[in-house]
Amino acid sequence: MNIIEVQNVTKKYSNHLALDNISLSIRKGIVYGLLGPNGAGKTTLIRILNQITAPDSGTVLFNGNPLSRKDVEKIGYLPEERGLYKKMKVGEEAMYLARLKGLSKEDALERLKYWFIKFEIQNWWNKKVEELSKGMQQKLQFIITVVHRPDFLILDEPFSGLDPINTNLIRQELLELKRQGTTIIISTHNMASVEEICDEICLINKAHKILEGNLMEVKHQFKENIFSLTLSAEREIPVFPEAFSVLETSSSRNQCHYVVKVHEGGNSNQLLKFVMDYGNVLEFNEILPSMNDIFIQQVEKYNSEFKIQNPNE
Amino acid sequence: MNNTLLIISREYLTRVKKKSFIILTLLVPLLLAALMVVPVLLATKGREHVNVMVVDDNEIYINNFIEDEKTSFSYRSGDIEQIKKEALAGDYDVVLYFPQSSQKVNANMYYNEEPSMYLRSELESQINNMFFDHVLQDSFHIDLDKYKTIKDLARSQITMIQIDEYGDEKESMAEMNKSIGMICGFIIYFVIFFFSGQVLRGVLEEKNNRIVEVLISSVKPIELLLGKIIGIALVGLTQFLIWIVFTLVILTGVQIAMPEKFMELSGVDKEQLMETVRDSQVVEAVNNSQMVAGDIDAGGIFAEISNYFPISFTEMILCFLFFFLTGYLMYSALFAAVGSAADNETDSTQLTMPITMPLLLTIVLVMPIADNPNGPLAFWLSIIPLTSPVAMLTRLPSGVPLWEVLLSMVLMLLFFVFVVWFAAKVYRTGILMYGKKVSWKEIWKWVRHQ
Repeated sequence: MNIIEVQNVTKKYSNHLALDNISLSIRKGIVYGLLGPNGAGKTTLIRILNQITAPDSGTVLFNGNPLSRKDVEKIGYLPEERGLYKKMKVGEEAMYLARLKGLSKEDALERLKYWFIKFEIQNWWNKKVEELSKGMQQKLQFIITVVHRPDFLILDEPFSGLDPINTNLIRQELLELKRQGTTIIISTHNMASVEEICDEICLINKAHKILEGNLMEVKHQFKENIFSLTLSAEREIPVFPEAFSVLETSSSRNQCHYVVKVHEGGNSNQLLKFVMDYGNVLEFNEILPSMNDIFIQQVEKYNSEFKIQNPNE
Repeated sequence: MNNTLLIISREYLTRVKKKSFIILTLLVPLLLAALMVVPVLLATKGREHVNVMVVDDNEIYINNFIEDEKTSFSYRSGDIEQIKKEALAGDYDVVLYFPQSSQKVNANMYYNEEPSMYLRSELESQINNMFFDHVLQDSFHIDLDKYKTIKDLARSQITMIQIDEYGDEKESMAEMNKSIGMICGFIIYFVIFFFSGQVLRGVLEEKNNRIVEVLISSVKPIELLLGKIIGIALVGLTQFLIWIVFTLVILTGVQIAMPEKFMELSGVDKEQLMETVRDSQVVEAVNNSQMVAGDIDAGGIFAEISNYFPISFTEMILCFLFFFLTGYLMYSALFAAVGSAADNETDSTQLTMPITMPLLLTIVLVMPIADNPNGPLAFWLSIIPLTSPVAMLTRLPSGVPLWEVLLSMVLMLLFFVFVVWFAAKVYRTGILMYGKKVSWKEIWKWVRHQ
């Protein structure tokens, strides 16, 4: 079951195309990574999902029905540019924003209390927002985003500006929310966090979707048959067969370490058999490309093709 | 709707709870009351009993000064230096000395403590009258009684009577209507700017600290826009209400605490009234009311004044509220639109220029409008929606035909609907635009879009 289905969505601004016929679907209960370089159209897509702007054409389905105004109560949104009323008191501001999401006064108070105790920030309630540090404001903003228990969370760069402790705290909370069934979409440039928490990813570039799928499947799709192995051996292997090429070697204290690419026609078993003759295999595993590598490689590939097709741009 | 109410209450409460709001709200009635009470206190302070010693070397004024309960006169002749010393050391507050002189009225006043202005002007007017009579009699041998009879006969007066559309006649006070109109024009200009400016700053604040994106993921931009505008309107109305109530409470308090002085307050108000209308030809009308000034109370004086208006106070206040509300709503919606398009206050002033021009123009033209409240300039400015709040309020005290007021009101409402439609379109796009200097051309594009 998909919580979100984006169907052929196009959005044009006066002088450029932000989204060109984009379709994607997000399964319920997963963490979905929305990736792409600056200006790719991510923010526009997020704004469309939030009904801040409307698409020029195409539709967005939420739980199978066209996205409507009442759905805002089921969506939580953390924008990239964080913002709060600086002069308001923390408690009042949190209450106000929670109630705008449709919570009653009593519910809002009860749930905010829960979060304030959980994050150990009860004593902030009567402080002014401007008195809080940037990290504290981020925590408050996170609480405001999730306080109405949305089914669907949209987070734009949720970890930016957080110290490692708070990053960990927020990541734990996100995983907890996922366990409870919340679907989360994360837009970020931080590829390390993508690998840690995303189940599926989508890569957008120049208003087009250029890649989508399960994180591990995508990594396998772009693997280059590179293996890392460590032998306990007296001496280095002098020559590898033609099916393999060595990318890196290093040796120390009777251990030799290799990074080897297996060319077409060869496979990992043949590599393993070959190296076994030279010593005991201590470690043997496949190196999958990082999301960082895939991101750079795919975007650059797309951009060079784009240039050929649109020489004027 | 629920969301709009939430927004209204936030906008209202955060402003009303601000220290600056509380201070301004309490201070203005105090200032207003002080403006009315302090001059009275100052004026009455000097009205203690005064003993005047008159020394007249010409013997014109001896035994001729008119006494009242606060001023008594004694007369002596002899060496001024000696009398002066003795009198001021004794029971006398003031020594008035007329040295030997044939033509001019010259007098010296000796005192230890400076006497009130009132005493001085009172003495001057008595001296002038006496000298005039003395010259008529002694130099021209004119019989005083005859002279006074002739003078009374020849006192011309023009009473201004305005006939309204129902044929009712009302004595008018053109000068006073003019100044009241100008004051009303200035007040409405000020309050419209003051409160629309708050809307502009509110929009800029939300845009600058980026909370607007969180807000419009929960509510529609139009709800946010209307919530803000209505919330601030309520702040304004609250402030007016407190001002009116407080000023009345303070004045009533003063009246109860010092009833005898408040009596004089009414009297002083009459004199100020006289001052205002001195040049108009309705002195007689005021003189008539002066006669009853003795037993007039604060409410009475308003009723008295309102007799000379072509429009009642209730009508005036209702019109003020209507034009304040519609004028404020219109300008604040326009300001909000502009605020949403700008990134900071400097940029916004550039964009607000074309909007504020009509209002500035009207305030510059308030004098000519008040001078000729039914001329073509006044007529057109009070019909055109952008200028009508100030222009109409300036004209109203002088009397405006009902159909013109209604036409102006209807046009205001129609234009307001258009402005809200326009503002909503611009606002929706503008609040999400960052880092781009927006021109009016660009804004027009947003409006036409979709």
